[in-house]
Amino acid sequence: MLELDAVTKRFGGLTAVGKVSFRATEGEILGIIGPNGAGKTTLFNVISGFYAPDEGRVLLDGRDVSKLPAHQICALGLCRTFQLVKPFGNLSVEDNVMIGALTRLPSVAAAREEARRMVALCRLEALAGAPARSLPIGLRKRLEVARALATKPRLLLLDEVMAGLNATELGEMVALIQRLHAEGLGLIIIEHIMAAMMRLAHRIVVLHHGEKIAEGPPESIARDPRVVDAYLGEEFVLADA
Amino acid sequence: MTALPQLLVSTVLLGGIYALIAVGLTLIFGIMRVVNFAHGEFLMLGMYLAFWSFTLWGLDPYFLLVVAVPLFFAIGLGIYALVMRGVIHASHNVQIFTTVGLSTALQNVALVFWTGDFRFVRPWESSIVVRILGAAFNLSQVIAFAVALLFTLALFAFMKWTHAGRVMRATAQDGEAATLMGIDTDRVYRLAFAMGIACVGVAGVLVSPLYSVYPTAGLQFVLLAYVVVVLGGLGDMVGALLGALIVAAVEVIGSYVFGSAWKEVIYFVLFIAVLVFRPAGLFGQRGAEALGA
Amino acid sequence: MRPHALALAIFGISALTPLVIRDGFFLDSLILILMWGAISGAWNVAGGYAGQASLGHSAFFGIGAYSAALMATRWNASPWLGMLVGAVVATGAGLIIGYLSNRLKGPYFALATIAFSQVLLIVASRWRGFTAGSEGVPVPFRPGFWTLGFASKVTWVYLVLCLALAVYLVQVYLERSRIGYRLAGVREDEDAAEALGIPSRRLKVMAVAASAALTSVCGALWAQYVGFVDPFYVFSVDLSIRFALNAIIGGIGTAMGPFVGSILITSLETFLRASFSDVRGGLIGIYLIIYGCLLIVVVRFIPQGLVGWFGQRFRAMGLYARA
Repeated sequence: MLELDAVTKRFGGLTAVGKVSFRATEGEILGIIGPNGAGKTTLFNVISGFYAPDEGRVLLDGRDVSKLPAHQICALGLCRTFQLVKPFGNLSVEDNVMIGALTRLPSVAAAREEARRMVALCRLEALAGAPARSLPIGLRKRLEVARALATKPRLLLLDEVMAGLNATELGEMVALIQRLHAEGLGLIIIEHIMAAMMRLAHRIVVLHHGEKIAEGPPESIARDPRVVDAYLGEEFVLADA
Repeated sequence: MTALPQLLVSTVLLGGIYALIAVGLTLIFGIMRVVNFAHGEFLMLGMYLAFWSFTLWGLDPYFLLVVAVPLFFAIGLGIYALVMRGVIHASHNVQIFTTVGLSTALQNVALVFWTGDFRFVRPWESSIVVRILGAAFNLSQVIAFAVALLFTLALFAFMKWTHAGRVMRATAQDGEAATLMGIDTDRVYRLAFAMGIACVGVAGVLVSPLYSVYPTAGLQFVLLAYVVVVLGGLGDMVGALLGALIVAAVEVIGSYVFGSAWKEVIYFVLFIAVLVFRPAGLFGQRGAEALGA
Repeated sequence: MRPHALALAIFGISALTPLVIRDGFFLDSLILILMWGAISGAWNVAGGYAGQASLGHSAFFGIGAYSAALMATRWNASPWLGMLVGAVVATGAGLIIGYLSNRLKGPYFALATIAFSQVLLIVASRWRGFTAGSEGVPVPFRPGFWTLGFASKVTWVYLVLCLALAVYLVQVYLERSRIGYRLAGVREDEDAAEALGIPSRRLKVMAVAASAALTSVCGALWAQYVGFVDPFYVFSVDLSIRFALNAIIGGIGTAMGPFVGSILITSLETFLRASFSDVRGGLIGIYLIIYGCLLIVVVRFIPQGLVGWFGQRFRAMGLYARA
């Protein structure tokens, strides 16, 4: 469904993403991990159309979307969330999600209906009328997901959606992601919380200094010496074992 | 070209004054990151200070400087406490409309107290002709330039070599980091603002013999100051100096070629052009992100 | 309270007033209140609903005023046609400003809009051949509908009321419609809106252009009413600030806010003008000092403006349900 072909993005002298290639197919959850500064969010920005790649291509269903603006890529079925959540603060939770729904639906009434469904799916009904800025971080993350879901994506990119969540919220988010996957949504997740990543991802891509240093199922990634060296650390391997 | 010496010297003289205005703005903008729409009004107040001192007590504007500096510094402190402090971390709209409100209030304080009549300051220096490179200028222009240059250099020295100056530069680079390093950013902002206002107030006193004095006199200067500051790269003092020279050159040459009527059009167009095409200024400094570039 | 209650009250009272009060001065004040309200409402489309606070809207106002005046004086055309021409030209200017809004943020955008309006001011005040330069253009009074020549203030009240109603409805549309909600998203967070499939840049340009066209229509009507177009007034920065002022104090981003703001401020101005008309001109400036301070206070402490603030109070008391 999504294919990256030697995607490169530079900022001045810095190569944030260097010749990264991989594929994400429908029906699987792809994880992206790597130390801070590895280029994960930049990669998301390129895929979702906020940046155009300097070299290489991004292909969605075989179509080259490298130069398309973000809103068109969303219309084609790829939606992303932000690492630092961006709620529409002064609008209600329901209105936030409804604005997402309006991308696919022509009427406000239909969008509101859809929004209510998404709000319920993400268990935010109790706060549907509250202004988004009044929500604590955990619920803001859920709102971010609900809003993205309202655009009816076929592929959803989640950027560190678990950061800042407590144990209960974490469990709920993992459950939500699994449910979305079960309903056929393709997912690419950036995460630092390894326990969740190992549980969710079918395949993991590891980035380091902007380059892909490993790719494979979680078990082999956890034992890959390059990955352990760059990111996971010896303790992780021991704990996992 | 017989006009060349005249154009050249005019540019330098004018550039010096614009530099002083712009440097004051750079201090405020570069450190506080707030666009102060009321900047021109303090210049206007400086002009009125000169006018009334001259009219009521026969005081030469240049002697007034001794009083003007601490006076405007104090005014800056006051305005900071009353108005600016709450605005630094607020949204764009709040920043814009707070300073716009301040600008409106100040303009009309001048209007109410001193009416809209155009006033003129004509100290004895205005009638003395000075010849530089064969071109004629009046002494007031030369003094304005000399004093402006002095102030600007003093400011440079302050920023570069004093502890307070270093602290201010650090805060300008990264306010959050500065706080984490134990710098009281509120004091820094207060000092920067007061110094910036002192600069522009002094500039007002200096230019009072050169322009008519009326309540909305500040408007043309504030836009000009922003052209200079944007051109020179926001927050960069050397850039402000260079920007001042460039704007002065554009104005002087533009006046010469098109007539003074159209010179304002030239620098407005220049302003919009720079904002659109080179938002980081001609010398490519930081601050570009603030423009959304 | 139903959501349109405030509008019904204010517009209703305005409609009924000429039946009861015939005093020319009073009706004139009412006309100005509605006119300023409408212009501020037009500003609100860009400044409130799209979040692009422009301080150069007098550019569009002046374009409208000049279009009407010049078409009437130079080509003997109907001012209605002048209004149309003005709207077209202003839309073009609005597209330019809209483009700027995508390049410049907040205060820089505001500065650029000021520069733009001042360029128009200088051009209008110097171009003797076309705009009669700094002398301005008198707008001829020819009685009749197609020449917008109405001597009766009562007629003007209803005419301006129609304009006010139209501007109000445009704003209400922006509060309820699909495009309005998407615009709200752009206003709140442009990147997030883009990620959700909203063409942020295009929407902003459209909003600014629409605001420009509306403002210019108001300008054209104003020129017909006042009878004279002075470049130093119609393109002034003061005027631009005035448009924003009404909206901010009344309630930026609410449909009735600009009208409420206009009621407050225009009334204050009229009252002060009347009280101090015999004193030296300078004292009139007092109302502007008040506005300036009011602006500072409102934007800091009551950012949602009077309508927004009262709306919250009423909702808290359970008296007001959002539609």
